[in-house]
Amino acid sequence: MSQQNILEVRGLKKYFEAGRPRLFSRSTRRVHAVDGVSLDLRKSEVIALVGESGCGKSTLSLLLMGLEDPTEGRIIFEGRDITHLNDAQRKGLRRKIQMVFQDPYESLNPTQTIEEIVAEPLQVHGLATSRQVTDEKVKKAMEDAGLKPAEVYLKRHPHELSGGQRQRVVIAAALVLEPEILLADEPVSMLDVSIRAEIINLLAELRITRKIAVIFITHDLGSVGFFADRVAVMYLGRIVEIGTMLDVLERPQHPYTKALISVIPVPNPRLRHERTILQGETPNPIDLPTGCRFHPRCPVAIAICKASDPSFVTLSKTHQAACLLLVK
Amino acid sequence: MSIQTVEIKPIIPSASKNFWQTYRQSRLGIAGLILLLAILLTAIFAPLLAPYDPKSSEGVGAGQVYNAPSAAHWFGTDDAGRDVFSNFIYGARVSLIVGFFASFISVFIGGTIGIVAGYYGGRTENILMRFTDTMLVIPDLPLIVVIVALTRPSLLNIIFVIGIFGWTTTARMVRSQTLAVKSRKFVLRARAIGAGRAHIIRHHILPLVMPILVVQAVLVVSVAVLNESTLSFLGLGDPTALSWGQMLNYAFARGAMSTGAWWALVAPGIGIIWVVLGLILVGQGLEQVLNPRLNTHHLMPSRPTIKSEAAARSGEQVLLEVRNLSINYINEGQAPACAVEDVSFTLKEGELIGLVGESGCGKTTLMLGLLKLLPNAGQIVNGQVYFKNKEITTLSDDEVNKVRWRGISIVFQGAMNALNPVRTVGDQIAETIIKHLPDFDSAKIPARVTELLDLVGIAAEHKEQYPHQYSGGMRQRAMIAMALACNPEVVIADEPTTALDVMIQAQILELLDQLRKKLGLAIIFVTHDLGVVAEMCDRVLVMYGGVTAEYAAVDTIYNTPLHPYTQELLKAFPDLTKPKKKLSSIPGYPPRLDDLPAGCRFAPRCPAVFDRCRTEQPALHELAGELHVVSCHLVEAIK
Repeated sequence: MSQQNILEVRGLKKYFEAGRPRLFSRSTRRVHAVDGVSLDLRKSEVIALVGESGCGKSTLSLLLMGLEDPTEGRIIFEGRDITHLNDAQRKGLRRKIQMVFQDPYESLNPTQTIEEIVAEPLQVHGLATSRQVTDEKVKKAMEDAGLKPAEVYLKRHPHELSGGQRQRVVIAAALVLEPEILLADEPVSMLDVSIRAEIINLLAELRITRKIAVIFITHDLGSVGFFADRVAVMYLGRIVEIGTMLDVLERPQHPYTKALISVIPVPNPRLRHERTILQGETPNPIDLPTGCRFHPRCPVAIAICKASDPSFVTLSKTHQAACLLLVK
Repeated sequence: MSIQTVEIKPIIPSASKNFWQTYRQSRLGIAGLILLLAILLTAIFAPLLAPYDPKSSEGVGAGQVYNAPSAAHWFGTDDAGRDVFSNFIYGARVSLIVGFFASFISVFIGGTIGIVAGYYGGRTENILMRFTDTMLVIPDLPLIVVIVALTRPSLLNIIFVIGIFGWTTTARMVRSQTLAVKSRKFVLRARAIGAGRAHIIRHHILPLVMPILVVQAVLVVSVAVLNESTLSFLGLGDPTALSWGQMLNYAFARGAMSTGAWWALVAPGIGIIWVVLGLILVGQGLEQVLNPRLNTHHLMPSRPTIKSEAAARSGEQVLLEVRNLSINYINEGQAPACAVEDVSFTLKEGELIGLVGESGCGKTTLMLGLLKLLPNAGQIVNGQVYFKNKEITTLSDDEVNKVRWRGISIVFQGAMNALNPVRTVGDQIAETIIKHLPDFDSAKIPARVTELLDLVGIAAEHKEQYPHQYSGGMRQRAMIAMALACNPEVVIADEPTTALDVMIQAQILELLDQLRKKLGLAIIFVTHDLGVVAEMCDRVLVMYGGVTAEYAAVDTIYNTPLHPYTQELLKAFPDLTKPKKKLSSIPGYPPRLDDLPAGCRFAPRCPAVFDRCRTEQPALHELAGELHVVSCHLVEAIK
C-alpha cells in the first residue's frame, strides 16, 4: 500500500435485509445501502463525500466507524485490516477515528455538563489518569474547538448553549482523544447559514494545526468549496465521480455532479442561472435500475445507459467519473 | 428548529430550583406533600407524640374495653383497653416501613429488568418481557396471600414478598423509556467514542430513566401499603408489629362491629387513606414537573391585542400591509421578551418577499402574529396588519378564522410532524376543505383533492397513501397542496426547504415559483438561507434580534447592502464562483430576546461598531429613491 494513505477502503458493501416480498417467498429483498465503494484517505487530507439522502453516505460513515459490519470489502487503517474486529480490539482504534454528528441538539446527553461530556472519552479509554491531566486535556480540546475560555462552559448543560456552541462541544469531545481521522456527518446542515461558516472554518483549522484527516459528509456541494482537497460524489451506494475540489466543482464530468452543482443557490440575483433540476428522488435501493443506476433521472441518458453499467473512466491523474458518455 | 423527542424531561442538577418552582404550581402536588410529610413526621417522632405506650393498657381501668373517644383517649380504646390514638401513631411506622422498603425492592427489580430488556434487545428482551407479561396476568394479591401464609409471617418476609410482586408496571415503563433513549444520537455518539454497555447504561440511560423510577417509586409505595394492610387484615401480618392493617384485623375479629366501637375501625382506615392519597397526589405533582407537556395550554385563547393608533397609510393598493408590528412574550413575574419590534412591510399580488434571519430572530413569531396564531404567552403590543384593507389584529377569533387559510395560509416547516400519520394524505386535504369552506359541495371534494395534488406535482394514485409512504419532498408538496386548498391569496412558507436535500429544495422552490405565476399567489418565504432567497424573491426583509435590519429590493440587498449584518451574512455564504475563498463567519451569537443589548441589537457582533451603537438603538432610516430601509447609525451620514 501507499505509505501516505492513512485509510484505504476497498470494494466496501453493506446490504440490509428488507423482509420478504410475499409470505413464504424464499428470496429476501435487500437494500443495497453501500454497494462497492473504494476510497483512499491521506494523512491530514480533507475529503468531501457528497450525495442526496439515500445515497448511502451515512451507512458508509457507520461502516468506517465500525458501528455497522460490512457485508463485503475491506477497510485498512494504517496498513492494518480493521474490517472485522471485536469490541476489545476496536476500542484502541476508536481513539484514532472519531465522529462528529449531524444534529448537535440530539447528540449531547442533556443531563451531563459540558465538562463531563468532553472528559467522558478520556474515562472510557482509561486516560483520565489524574484530575490534573484530565482537566488540562479537556481545557485544551475545548479551546481548540473554539470554546474560549473553557471555564465559562465547563459547568453548563447543553440546553444552555446555542447550536453552534453545541457542535463545538461535540468536536471538543472528539478532539480530546487526539484522533487522526475525523468523520463529520453533515455537521452543519442543522445550523444556521451564519454559523455554518465558523464550524467549517474550525474543521479547516484543525486539519492544519492538528494534522487531522477529515471525511466531510454532506448533501450540499456548495459548503465543501474552499476546504476540501478532494470531492467524491455518491449516488445509490456508489461513488460516481471523484477528483480534486477544482476537478469536481469547475470541470464536473458526470451528469449527476453537473446537476448537483447547478442547483446550489447563488447568493446573487444578477447571477440567476439555468438550473438542471432532476425530477423525482433517489430511487429505492431495493430495486435498483438496470444498467447505469442514474439513467432514469439522467437528463442526457442514451439507449445504452439502460443496458450497461459504467465503470470508472480516468480523466486525469486525479479525476475519475463513471459515465458511459465519457467512454469514447 | 430542533424537534424534541424525549417523553420525559431529565432531571438536570442545575435546574433544581426550577424543579421546585414547577412543582409548586401543582396544588394537588403540594397538598399531597403536606399529607405525606405530616404522616412521615408522625411516624418518626412516634415516641414523643403518642400519649401512651402502644402495648400497655396503662391508664385504663381493667375491663374498660372499647371506650368511646374522650379527652383522655382521642380515638377511644380498643378491645384490650389500649389507646387507639397511640396505636395509630405507632402503626404508621410499620405501614410506612413496609411501604417504602417493598417499593424500593419493586423499583429496583423493575428498573433493572426494564433497562436490561430495553438496552440489550433481541432474545434477552423477549425472555424478560414475556416473563413480565406472565407476572402481570397472575393476580398478585392471592399469590402474595398464599406465599405469606406458607412462610413465617415476619415483617421482613412481608416486605420481601410484596416487593417481588410489584415490579411489572415499572419494568414495562422503564423498558419503553430505555428504548426511546437508546435510539437517541448521543448514545450512538457514546458508542463511537468507544464506551461499553455498562458505561452507556450508567451514564446515558440511567439519568434519563431516573424520572420514571422516581414517580414509580412513589406510586408503588401506596400499592405496598395497601397490600400490607390487606395481608394484616386477613390475619397474615406480623403479630409483633402493629400496623394499621393489624389494627383493623384485631378490631374486626374481636367484636368492634357488634359493640358499635366504630372508632377502632375508622382510625386505621383514615391512616391508610391518608397515606395512599398523599402518595398519589405527590406522584401527580412529580409527573407535572418531569413531563412538562402536561401543562402546556395550546388551546387557551391568546392574549388580546393592545390597540394602538394607526399611522397614516400609504395610499398604494396592496394585498397585505404590516405596520409597526410589535409582539412580546409575557412570562409571569419576568420582564416581557420583545420577540418582534416595529416591523413593517407590504406585499402586492403575485409578489414574493423573503424574510431572512437566524434562528430566534423573531421571524416565525412575526408570521404567527399575522394570523393571530401566537402561543398563549405571545401578545401583539403595537401595530396593525391590513389584509385587503381590513385591520385583522383587533378582529375576534371567529372573524380572523375567515381570513386564516381562505385569505392567508401557512406551509409549516417539518412536514412529517405537521401531517397526521394515521390518515391518508387525500383525506387530510379533504378535511382542510371541509373545515374552512363548509359550503363547498361535498360531491366535488374528491375531484378538488386530485386537482390540488396535481397542482403540486403529485400523481392521483398517491392520494390514498399515508404520509410515511411519501418521501420528504412529496410530504412538503402535500403540505403546499393543503395550504392551497381554499384558494388563498397569500401563502406563508415557513422554512419549507430546511432539512431537505439541495435537489429536493430546488424542486420545491421551482414549484412555489410556478404556483406564484400560475395562481397569482403572493408568497412570504421565511428562511435563514440568503442563497435560497436570491433565486426568486422580489424583495427581502432581513431581521435581527426581533427588529428590521434592512428591507429592500433583492438586487439592493445582494449588491449594495448597507447594514453590516446583511454584509456579514453575505460573506458567510459559500460562493461557488470563488471556491477557494475562505468563508468569513460572524463572531458571537444572536441576542436572547429576554436579554437584549441596550443599544443596537447587533452591536456586540458588529465589525463597524462605535460608541453610540452601544447606548442608542438606531431608528429605521428610509433612504431616498427606491425602497430601502436600514436600521443603522452609519446610514445617517449617507442620507
